[in-house]
Amino acid sequence: MTIKSHGISLLINGEKIISHLDLEIIPGEITAILGPNGAGKSTALKILAGDIQPSYGDVKYNNINLSEISIVERARLRSVMSQSQTVAFDFTTLEIIEMGWIHENNESYSFSYSDALEEIINICDLHSLLLRRFNTLSGGEQKRVNFARILLQLWIPKTDNYSRYLLLDEPFTNLDIFHELKMLKIIKSYLSKNIGILIVLHDLNVARKLADNVTLMRDGRTIRQGPTDEVFQEDLLSKTFNTCVKVNDTSPKITFF
Amino acid sequence: MNEIPISRERTSVAINKNQSLILSFLSMFCIFALLAAISNGSYPISLFSILKGGEDSIQKTIIIDIRLPRVLLSCFVGASLGICGAVLQGLFRNPLADPGLIGVSAGAALGAAIAIVILPPGLSESLTGQLLLPISGILGALIVIVLLFSVTKGFGGHSTTYLLLMGVAINAIVGVLIGVLTYISTNTELRTLTFWTMGSFSGATWTLLLPASVAIMSSIGLLIPTAKNLNLIQLGEIEAYRLGVNVQKLKTRIIVCCAICIGVSVALSGIIGFIGLVVPHIARLLGGVSHKYLLPSASLLGAGIMISADLISRIIIEPMELPVGLITSAIGSPFFLWLIFRMRKHDY
Repeated sequence: MTIKSHGISLLINGEKIISHLDLEIIPGEITAILGPNGAGKSTALKILAGDIQPSYGDVKYNNINLSEISIVERARLRSVMSQSQTVAFDFTTLEIIEMGWIHENNESYSFSYSDALEEIINICDLHSLLLRRFNTLSGGEQKRVNFARILLQLWIPKTDNYSRYLLLDEPFTNLDIFHELKMLKIIKSYLSKNIGILIVLHDLNVARKLADNVTLMRDGRTIRQGPTDEVFQEDLLSKTFNTCVKVNDTSPKITFF
Repeated sequence: MNEIPISRERTSVAINKNQSLILSFLSMFCIFALLAAISNGSYPISLFSILKGGEDSIQKTIIIDIRLPRVLLSCFVGASLGICGAVLQGLFRNPLADPGLIGVSAGAALGAAIAIVILPPGLSESLTGQLLLPISGILGALIVIVLLFSVTKGFGGHSTTYLLLMGVAINAIVGVLIGVLTYISTNTELRTLTFWTMGSFSGATWTLLLPASVAIMSSIGLLIPTAKNLNLIQLGEIEAYRLGVNVQKLKTRIIVCCAICIGVSVALSGIIGFIGLVVPHIARLLGGVSHKYLLPSASLLGAGIMISADLISRIIIEPMELPVGLITSAIGSPFFLWLIFRMRKHDY
């Protein structure tokens, strides 16, 4: 039970944006994609989410080719958090969170609706924002609301426990330290719910603390892939980011020059 | 079995109490307008005398053959323009997407006008000929919506501006073509230029009203269930897809239903401006932006306002009649200006 991409490449107007990328999201584990700006990290995430069709290679959810899974079924299996979110018209925060409830036509889930909503709002501590207009929230607050929305999308009753996946594109930008730590905690707590996580990150320290596996990318290519400690080598990171990087064993674990 | 109604209230994202209250008020407004429009006019008839079983045959003829089809037509056209405004604004994610402003109504008018000119005069009198009118109206509306979609796609963040500019261009071109058609054609069926630019319900007959009402009601019936997915579209098409919406299917359904509503409405009553723009905005101001509430409320409010506007156009300068589009534009154009000023502040 994984999301797996095998040898995917993406060509746009003859230019190679992604080449020969293999990725794997395993329930209970966090896979991080790291790399400089324009490395193709977000594009890779979009291909795994099914937003973009790769030119070559294939994406499989639980060993089934993505093209054979219906759009509704895909929404049950994975939810995706974008870097930013704009909304036309003045929806309230509560209405935005409710949009994550995709089980409206599912008889066996529909009775849990208010429980699920309450649980997610509690976890994300959003009570005070519920009746505000989403468009009047700050960037960080909007991020928290969207995070709640994608958690609600993956909510299932305790009696059910199939594998699901969270795909997060730079979830911590615009968040203050308090809320960043809080979101980190929530993300970790979701690992025990049979959920696998893919996360695109810029902060190397966070990545080292959080990720089980890291894929280091540059110019659409995979530089190195593997367990976090194997990838976090000074020369490798320095070369990839064009910056002198020092990996310490004490805190903070990574320093730049 | 007893528990289901209670639990179902908590099962899905339903409309709130305030919104259902507004919906029942709007229904009452609609019914009230309907009754007022049937009994008033250049020849006022008390509703009580009809209910008592009025023996007056002139009264019966006026009510059944003239006034009832007219009032019902204004009701259906108002409902269809109201809901189409709401749905198109949602689909284009654009508060200014009004069927009149962006040229969809004009496309429908041109389709209908061309059908009148092309058809041999004998055929246009028959029922098939009369039915061909709304059908070519639907085609005209369909062509314009598809055109707008394919053209504005490439403009990204500026699509609001380009949508309106396209509308200006389409309206101008259609204005010229219909003008030319009305002058060169000897066919009396082509009615007058004011019919196409200002609209009128005076030509309403039962023969056309029945198929028109079936077409409009079934389209509205197909549009209302798209509410949940229309809400998700407000996050962007990609986000909607991620939440399980088949965006292409949704678009096709909405475009076809809107084309039917607008095509039929325009073919039967001409272009009546601003209802599709103003009604959804008033509905949003009253009860919020969720389409689950917005779609039914925009149809009810559209119907109520249109019936009232037609009534005003009939009685304001008795025994003469004003074009109904004059009334709706008189209310709608200041509102349009206000929307533009508001948009500038909010920086959409």
